[in-house]
Amino acid sequence: MRGPLLAGAMGGPLARTIRAKLTAALQPTHLEVRDDSPLHGGPPGAETHFGVLVVSGRFAGLPPLQRHRLVHEALRAELAGPLHALQVVARTPEQWQSDPQNPPAPPCLGGSKREKRREAREEEEEEVGKK
Amino acid sequence: MKGSPAQPLCGFSNAVVQILRLHGVEDYRAHDVLQDPDLRQGIKNYSNWPTIPQVYLNGEFVGGCDILLQMHQNGDLVEELKKLGIRSALLDAEKDQEKK
Repeated sequence: MRGPLLAGAMGGPLARTIRAKLTAALQPTHLEVRDDSPLHGGPPGAETHFGVLVVSGRFAGLPPLQRHRLVHEALRAELAGPLHALQVVARTPEQWQSDPQNPPAPPCLGGSKREKRREAREEEEEEVGKK
Repeated sequence: MKGSPAQPLCGFSNAVVQILRLHGVEDYRAHDVLQDPDLRQGIKNYSNWPTIPQVYLNGEFVGGCDILLQMHQNGDLVEELKKLGIRSALLDAEKDQEKK
């Protein structure tokens, strides 16, 4: 999968927390935790945007919405805090075996940082207009 | 969503806009949470869902970008749109393909 794969070094503290909590909550047979924060213009080590691929028998019989809610539940504290965006792929072991794919994150389009820059620019233009 | 359908300000919000566009769905209400911090938190409380974008069909919460993408890929979105009386543009695209 694309993006920094956190296999060996286990990534930063939030990455490790995500991994630990998902493991405890869902006993996954396969788990990938991807830090997409560098793609979103944050400073190095920001740990704000993650993608997770969770393969777990716990998802059997559950529609996607419920599967994602299980993942969110495990990461409730993080999502209320530093975790700003979370891409989730939730598969049962059978689904994963027949189709082992983890789609990459869509490209960032700036978010609130771009909005703030735009506002700052507009304010500047107003200032200039007033003079 | 973040931004507007004409100018999304987030890759995930943009993905939702693009998927809907593929199905010919362009006439929907979109609310920019970046313009409204109360809305940004309020909608997360309402749906008990921690992230933006959030997709609602006929007032019912459907999920975020990942779920919409899945629904698009497995055909569920065409069905859900049908229930709302919306004929997906992809059905017409398929018909054109079959005629050739």
